Amino acid sequence: MGLGCAVLLASAFSAQAAKIGDLTQTRWTEQAWRFVTLSDPVVRYACLGTLLLGISCGLLGSFLVVRRMALLGDALSHAVLPGVALGFLWNLEKDPLAIFIGALLAGLAGSATVSILTRTTRLKEDTALGMVLASFFGLGLCLMSMFQRLPTGNKSGIETFLFGQAAALGPGDIQVMGAVTLVVVGLLGLGYKEFLLVSFDPGFARVLALPTVWFERLLVMLLAFAVVSALQAVGVVLVSAMLIIPAATASLLTDRFHRVLVWSSCLGMISGLSGAFLSFLGTRLPTGPFMVLSASLLFALALLFSPRQGIVPRWYRQRSQRVRIERENTLKAIYQVLESDGFASETITVAALTARRRLALAAVEAEIRSLVAVEFATASRDRVALTPSGWLRACAIVRNHRLWELYLTHAAQIAPDHVHDDAEKIEHVLGEAMVRELERRLPRIDTDPHGRPIPSLPASMAGAHLGAGGAGDRPVGYGGRT
Amino acid sequence: MTLIPEFQAHRVFVEPWTTELGSHGLMALVTFLVGATCGLIGNFLILRRMALVGDAISHSVLPGIALAFLITGSRGIGAMVLGAMVAAWLTHGLIELISRHSRLKQDAAIGIAFSTLFAIGVVLIAVFADKVDLDQDCVLNGELPMIPLEPPVRLGGWVLGPPPLLRLVGVLVVSLVLLVTFYKELLITSFDPGLAACLGIRVGAIHHGLMLWLAMVVVASFEAVGAILVIALLILPGATASLLTDRMVPRLAWTTVHAALSAISGMHLSVALDCSPAGATVVAGAGWFCVVWLFSPTEGLIPRAWCLRRGSVDSRLRSPELRQHNESP
Amino acid sequence: MSLETGNPANVPPLEIHDLTVAYRNKPVLWGIDLVAPAGKLIGIVGPNGAGKSTLIKACMGLLPCSSGWVTAFGRPVTQSLKRVGYVPQRESVDWDFPVSVMDVVLMGRYGRIGLFKRPSPEDRRIARDCLEQVQMLPFAERQISNLSGGQQQRVFLARALAQESDLYFMDEPFTGVDAATESAIIALLQGLRSRGKTILVVHHDLPTARTYFDWLLLLNMRVVAFGPTEEVFTPDLLQKTYGGRLTILSEVAEAVRGQGTLT
Repeated sequence: MGLGCAVLLASAFSAQAAKIGDLTQTRWTEQAWRFVTLSDPVVRYACLGTLLLGISCGLLGSFLVVRRMALLGDALSHAVLPGVALGFLWNLEKDPLAIFIGALLAGLAGSATVSILTRTTRLKEDTALGMVLASFFGLGLCLMSMFQRLPTGNKSGIETFLFGQAAALGPGDIQVMGAVTLVVVGLLGLGYKEFLLVSFDPGFARVLALPTVWFERLLVMLLAFAVVSALQAVGVVLVSAMLIIPAATASLLTDRFHRVLVWSSCLGMISGLSGAFLSFLGTRLPTGPFMVLSASLLFALALLFSPRQGIVPRWYRQRSQRVRIERENTLKAIYQVLESDGFASETITVAALTARRRLALAAVEAEIRSLVAVEFATASRDRVALTPSGWLRACAIVRNHRLWELYLTHAAQIAPDHVHDDAEKIEHVLGEAMVRELERRLPRIDTDPHGRPIPSLPASMAGAHLGAGGAGDRPVGYGGRT
Repeated sequence: MTLIPEFQAHRVFVEPWTTELGSHGLMALVTFLVGATCGLIGNFLILRRMALVGDAISHSVLPGIALAFLITGSRGIGAMVLGAMVAAWLTHGLIELISRHSRLKQDAAIGIAFSTLFAIGVVLIAVFADKVDLDQDCVLNGELPMIPLEPPVRLGGWVLGPPPLLRLVGVLVVSLVLLVTFYKELLITSFDPGLAACLGIRVGAIHHGLMLWLAMVVVASFEAVGAILVIALLILPGATASLLTDRMVPRLAWTTVHAALSAISGMHLSVALDCSPAGATVVAGAGWFCVVWLFSPTEGLIPRAWCLRRGSVDSRLRSPELRQHNESP
Repeated sequence: MSLETGNPANVPPLEIHDLTVAYRNKPVLWGIDLVAPAGKLIGIVGPNGAGKSTLIKACMGLLPCSSGWVTAFGRPVTQSLKRVGYVPQRESVDWDFPVSVMDVVLMGRYGRIGLFKRPSPEDRRIARDCLEQVQMLPFAERQISNLSGGQQQRVFLARALAQESDLYFMDEPFTGVDAATESAIIALLQGLRSRGKTILVVHHDLPTARTYFDWLLLLNMRVVAFGPTEEVFTPDLLQKTYGGRLTILSEVAEAVRGQGTLT
């Protein structure tokens, strides 16, 4: 589809539009208007190019990220520079096809050098990558500085290949990019399960008689394709970021590989477009850095707010868990106070609870309020009483604590005076299934190692009051032998 | 004007050492100083498998340097070093943040952190182009040809040389002092961090110190060779030396030799081809690496192939792939 | 050091009290209690994943403990590191590293040399002695990658000897070594023991464990048994150690990791 659009566009508009960098005296509002209305072929090429780039880089970057080869992308993308320069030298002007072929050859030579170096010397892979990256880049800079001395050199726009200029994309570039995207999407679509297997477990793939080495080479080849086709828009220096960042963002958002691929190409397109837009606002602004910054911004948002893995949701979950643990500790303390006078009275004094919890009065009062709020307790002026559901929950938590102590001393043979601290943490973690398992494993569950009775709950009661826990609650193993 | 200038032996080989000594000779000296300084610390980066952390830091100091320019409006070395160190520390922090708080691995974290910071740096330079005395070309190529033009520092009638040269000498001296003082600690924390911790050596402190040292070296080299080629000078000398010897002290010595050879041959190459001197130094360095890779007596491809044909068992044992094969149980 | 090595009978070389260790938030060792007797060769055995290496790393403070404490010679381990020697697993270092056998052995002295100083002739003499004891002196100037597995292990042992410690932790020193080296190592360890040193060795081969060690620690996420070999090496206790893990411990460990409460 990319190729078709590109051919259509290429025939509709001749490439006469001036480079954006040359339009010096425009206001940024006008530029923004020009961009959003898509009124001008330069803008259309830029948009189409960055969208294609987003797709191909996003797809291949996902493989790099899951295979922990992110830095191979970096090396490969720097290594293409001498090829770009040679492509320019081929007929001393910007010819997308010559540049594409030159860069592709250089990129493949670079990745081949890395693998030969690691095979024939003691150098480790990171050293080999760094060396190839820098040496090829240095060679490229040399060739470029020679080329720029030529009379045509300065007008050729070769320097836009370093940091990218989406506005310099022409119909030829779009054709190449469209073709590359088509090939990438097609091959990955055809060989999806093979590529997945080779990436996840190459040893197993070899056992299945898949030509693992050839799939690896094909992947590097496609990677070089994607890098090279993205050069004009992002630039040599930052193209690796467009491989890694959208894919890394995607892997924070989902944990299924096919969804990573889709997310990653969408994020790639979004960051590509916004990068093109931002660099369009000013004059002589390179596209690549803006694209990377957009991608990084998306990454930062995902890192912070991704529903399952984000820092903020996780922090919130941990906080509500702490609230739950504190609440359970208070319930346990109330139970213990009640137990200490043999369950003679229904209510206890706040003072007794404060002494048991070893907290300041104000903190205990706050906890009582929170218990009252979720209907685990009722409070009068200076006394607290448990509601039936609060009583159940308190019994469950004390039961968890004492069962765990019993298990540690009985099955794991840990000294009775050591088990309390562990149980203080584990009591909040045990789930229903684990409590059942403990009950099954222990020969008797009436008293804990310290001789105190373990409360048991009638199963009919246990079910009745579940789920009344308020925010952040998880059922804590309710149990009892019927 | 043609692509490759006509070769004149006198212009390429004699003039840099006679009439052009003040410019080309000085440039060779500067690149040697950069190469030697970077090579020393680079050896430890290679041994600790942190070559790409070097890459990351050399990219990410850019926004620090650019901000220092913007705020102070000058090229004060103090502000630049401070800015770069903050940036290096920030990179380190970002890498830790990402790899600790998500399932992403270290490599992706490195890639994300440094490309973001580098992009910020380039944007700062591009947006404030008229306020910053830096351009995108300088970020990549350095300003080597400008250094001989700076007014030299004089001290009581002695001409000491342009300020960047003195700065580099200073950084080299500091690096040598650090190396000699902490050689033992650097060696053991690189070889066996577990044992080092057991012996009471503070592994974390050594690591952070190394990072700060790296930031200092990178900033000093930035002016001469630009942000990206620094990585070549960090890794190439050490990698070449590692193919020539398997001891640490000779390795450091070979590193210096490689730095000197690539500085001189790079200078001649850049005169001959009339191209970017920083790029030419890197190309020459890579060339010397290839020579060693082919001909090194112990590790070289050709001597090893020759020995293999003669069936010498000893050399076969030395070839890395066979050695690994031997060791696997 | 003559004063320091004089070991009062009542101060055990190693005491572990209620040690719980979590790795990436997941508990792998629960409530370890142990008082090691002085002058014994102690084997740590248990199935894969029982936490053997984790235990000795936690003892030396290389891993943080969630609860409990470890003392060596009556002081926290971090304060008595000079009296603790360590032999890590052979695969834990890069054998292509550009150092000679002698350099590696000298590293054992670094804790005593102090900051800013170079190894003295005395240190070199000790290092040569240690190499002599493991019969590696002829290889002193070789680069370490040109050694066989058994020779590499001997170098590590010589390095531990050079530490001149009173308490040694060794992580699988018999892995991948030839029979000759294995018997040489065990003779050396027995020599150390007879000089009053205490040695804890992680070992994975049960039949030899019985003959090599004076005491055995049977470990499987918790201490199954600890005592003289003849008392502990019983089918009953071994069955308890190897006969399946306590599945609940593993399940609960997973749950703890999931909720991240143990930090």
